[in-house]
Formats: sequence, C-alpha cells, structure tokens
Amino acid sequence: MGEAKKIKFRIQRYNPENGVAPYMDEFVIPVTRGMTVLDGLFYIKENLDNSLAFRSSCRMAICGSCAVVINSFPHLACHTQIAELRVSTLELKPVPNYAIIKDLVVDLSPLFQKHRAIKPYLIRSEREEMDAPSAEFLQTPQELEAYLQFSYCVKCGLCLAACPTAASDRLFLGPQAIAQCYRYSSDSRDDGAEERFPAVDGDHGLWRCHLAGACSEACPKGVDPAFAIQLLKRLRVSRALGLGRGRRPTPVAPPPTAMQPKLPVPEFTVKPETALRREPEG
Amino acid sequence: MPKAGSPRDNYLGVRGWVWAGRYKIERYLYILHRITGLGLVLYLGLHLCVMTVFRMQGEDFYSAVMRLFHNPVFKVGEYLVFAALIFHGLNGLRLIFQELGFLLGKPKPPIYPYRDSLRRRRPLVLAMIGLVVVGAAFVLFDFARGGP
Amino acid sequence: MRNTYLWLLQLVTGGLILLFGGTHMVLMHLDDILGFFGIDIGEPTTWASMMDRAGRGFWLAFYIIFLALVLYHGLNGLRGIILELTPSPRMERLVTGLILALGIIAFGLGIYVPAQLFAG
Repeated sequence: MGEAKKIKFRIQRYNPENGVAPYMDEFVIPVTRGMTVLDGLFYIKENLDNSLAFRSSCRMAICGSCAVVINSFPHLACHTQIAELRVSTLELKPVPNYAIIKDLVVDLSPLFQKHRAIKPYLIRSEREEMDAPSAEFLQTPQELEAYLQFSYCVKCGLCLAACPTAASDRLFLGPQAIAQCYRYSSDSRDDGAEERFPAVDGDHGLWRCHLAGACSEACPKGVDPAFAIQLLKRLRVSRALGLGRGRRPTPVAPPPTAMQPKLPVPEFTVKPETALRREPEG
Repeated sequence: MPKAGSPRDNYLGVRGWVWAGRYKIERYLYILHRITGLGLVLYLGLHLCVMTVFRMQGEDFYSAVMRLFHNPVFKVGEYLVFAALIFHGLNGLRLIFQELGFLLGKPKPPIYPYRDSLRRRRPLVLAMIGLVVVGAAFVLFDFARGGP
Repeated sequence: MRNTYLWLLQLVTGGLILLFGGTHMVLMHLDDILGFFGIDIGEPTTWASMMDRAGRGFWLAFYIIFLALVLYHGLNGLRGIILELTPSPRMERLVTGLILALGIIAFGLGIYVPAQLFAG
C-alpha cells in the first residue's frame, strides 16, 4: 500500500425528504494506487458518513449504475481512477438531465422508457419462428461489424447528461434510444426498421440531434451514439428518397447436412475393447 | 416527474446548450451555429422590412438611408453579419455531410482508449475553422478598404 | 416521414443558400475585390443599380428563389429551436402555425416591390 495520498471529495448532497437545498459536503480520504472514484465513495460510506447515497453494482463498467459528474464531466465512477484525474479535489455531482432521488442517485426511468419506445429487439414477420425458434439466423462477420460497436451500450445514461438537446427537451428520445434504434435497424437479421421508425421520427426524435458530439465523448463504452444517429439519418433519408437497395432479413440457418471430410478421420489408437481388457489385470 | 425548477429536477435547460462540462469543440460549434443562425434570422427580418419600406419611399429616401448605412456603427454590424454568415455557411456544409453519414468513417470495434468518429475527424473541423478565419479576415480587409 | 422530409429540405436549402447567398454577398459587399480581379459591376447598392436588377428577369428570379430558400431555412431552423424548448404539443401546433404565417407574410413582403415593378 505504501504512501496514502489524501484527496478531498466534494460531493453534492441532497435529500428531497428533509427539504434542505442541495449543498456540497467535503470528505478527505486516503487514496492508494489504482483506487477508483467508486472505491472512494465506498470508503466514505463505510468510514465517514453512512448516509451518503450512490448507486453501484458491478464495479467494472458493465452494469452502468454508477454514472456521476466528476469535475464537470460525466463518468462512470468505477471506470475512473482517482490518480488519472491528476487533481487534489474531486467534485462529484449527480448526472444532469434526470430527476434526483437522493445525493448522487438519479431517476433513470425516462431513459428506460425511451429505450423501450424504439422496440429494442429483433422484429421479423415470421411469427412461428420468433415464438419457437428452430435454428439461429445467419449472419456474416461483416454484417456483425456493421452494428457491433453500437451494441455495447450499458444504459448508464451518461449520453443524455452530455446532450445539449436533452438538457432542455424532456421529450427528446436521446442519444441512447436513437443509437439503439440504429443498432437494431441495421442488424441484418432484423426486418423492423419501418415499424420502429414512427417512434424516432416525431417532433422530438432523430432530427433534434444537431451533432454536438458530446454523447460520444462521454460514452464510457466507446459506443459512439452520435455516429449511430448520423447513420440512422442517412438510412432514413435514403429510404425517404427511395434510394438504396431494399434489404431482406437473413434467413434461418439450414439444418446441418452430412458431409464428406477431405481427410479421413483417424482411428482411435486406444480401442475400447483393449482398454477394457487391461483393467482386471491391475 | 418533479416539477420544473425544483431542486430535484436536475435538467440543465437552455443553460445546458452553452455549458454542461468540459467537452470538446463540436459542442461549442453547435451553440455557435445556433446563435449565428438566430442572429441571421433576425437580420433577415430586418433586412426584408427595411429594404421593402425604403424602396416604397422612393429614390431620395433610399439614397439618404444608404448614406446613413456608411456610418461606422452600421459597418461593424454589417461585418458581424457577414462573419456570422461565413461561419454558419461553412459549419453548415460540414453538418450537411456529417449528418448524412459522410466524412465519419465506418463503425469500428471499440478498443480502449476509445476514439469516437468525430474525434478521428477533428482535423476536418480545425480546417473548417481555419477557412472561417481566413474568410472573415478577407472580408475585413475589404471592409477596411471602404467597400460598401 | 414528415420530419425526415422537413430536415432533408433544411439540408438541401442550406446547400443552395451557400451558392445563392455567396453570390449575393460577393456582389453586394466585395465589389472592390471583384474590381481588383477586373470585374467591374459598378456600385451595387445604389438606387439605379437596384432598379436595373429588379427589371431583369434573371435577377428577379434569382432573388425570389433565394428569398424562398432563406425563409424556409431560417424559419424551419427557428421552429426546431422552439421545439427543443419543450412546450406542450398544443403550443407546438400554435408555434408551427405562427411560423408558417410569418413565412408567408415575409415572402409577400419580400416580393411586393419587385412584383409591383414587374406589373407596372
């Protein structure tokens, strides 16, 4: 462990139930090498003030629970080491553009509602196959690459905190939902682009994005929602103009067929009968 | 939903258009595009009303007003409109391409440290800003020479 | 599809305004620099020069198209900004109606003098 550097955490505290306006609370904690901001929050909760509220689960940037604003930039607390910020004071605030529940915990339900609104699942016309799948849908590695980047979204909500349109427009679907709309619409196994589109084409949908690019900067998973949104715009414009080839969803994988291997499969050197014969001697 | 303006309600509002944290240049170009756009719409309204009314008044009135517009205060205002137009035009040209998915590259598997598509194309934005500065300087030269 | 067409038109008019507006600004303001390159268009902001342009079919058509492009681009942009302030859907319809009315009035105002000249 060695030297324990002292770092000051300034954390915005607010409990709607006791009617006190939000205020900044200060904690000084010893910081060791490799310690993340989330570890710091746990230290405070365990040793200094157990009334501090924050949300976390996996501690490894997979669950997307611990989004906070650290020194004026939205980060996942578990994905940010204290040392990498190179400051002696950290200022932690709840992510903006959501309602605060308590301290650093915000209400992410608008994010999930918007995500649900764009039908984030494969949509295909053949009902029986969708209800009782017989095999996987075929997909080439190239077709996978076209949307793979956008499928790493963990729904942490940082992009909506960064987006200038989401700051004022509460009905705006937000970078997360629109990027996921592109992720499913560009999937070669999917046939639901038209069904998904009315939700994104509203007055508060796709075209309220003006490419400020802040969502992509803030994204802790490299999903690049701004890029996905521009590609969705391109998809919609080419569809509106009747350009581009219509795409059929890829078929179900055919049942495996018997094949003739080029090299004969070698015989097993240990025959089951010889193995059995040796056994009683031992 | 908490009501707007209460401390629970943590939306940044219009303030968030301008400042939400330490972001890179595109977010500030976005608000500058918006401000120049609003300014130009305002100017367009003035320009339309003023020119129509002056023309309806006849030649003498029109010439008198045109002489008034050679006043340095109006010249500075006119230069600001011109500069706003150059910025809005060139940034708009970038937006036309990028909003239609050009000049952004292809989707890449995210490998840490992540570089988003806009960051990969940042030289393009810097070149655009360079062009705006050169254009604005060029027009300033013309205005300084006393062109109307 | 409505918003897709509206914003596509925003991009298209934006591109065209670059051409039309560029021509307009260079002719109106950079006549000294054009003169340096040997193109003498006279003093473009005088009454005589303006009346001359208004009498020519090409410039008349140029300015009427330019006016329509600029009004669409500017007012649709303004509508987008107002939509992002999240008024209620009822307010939004009101705003859309007002902006449409404003556009038609401004277009009428803009072509009033040239139309009168052309008629008379």
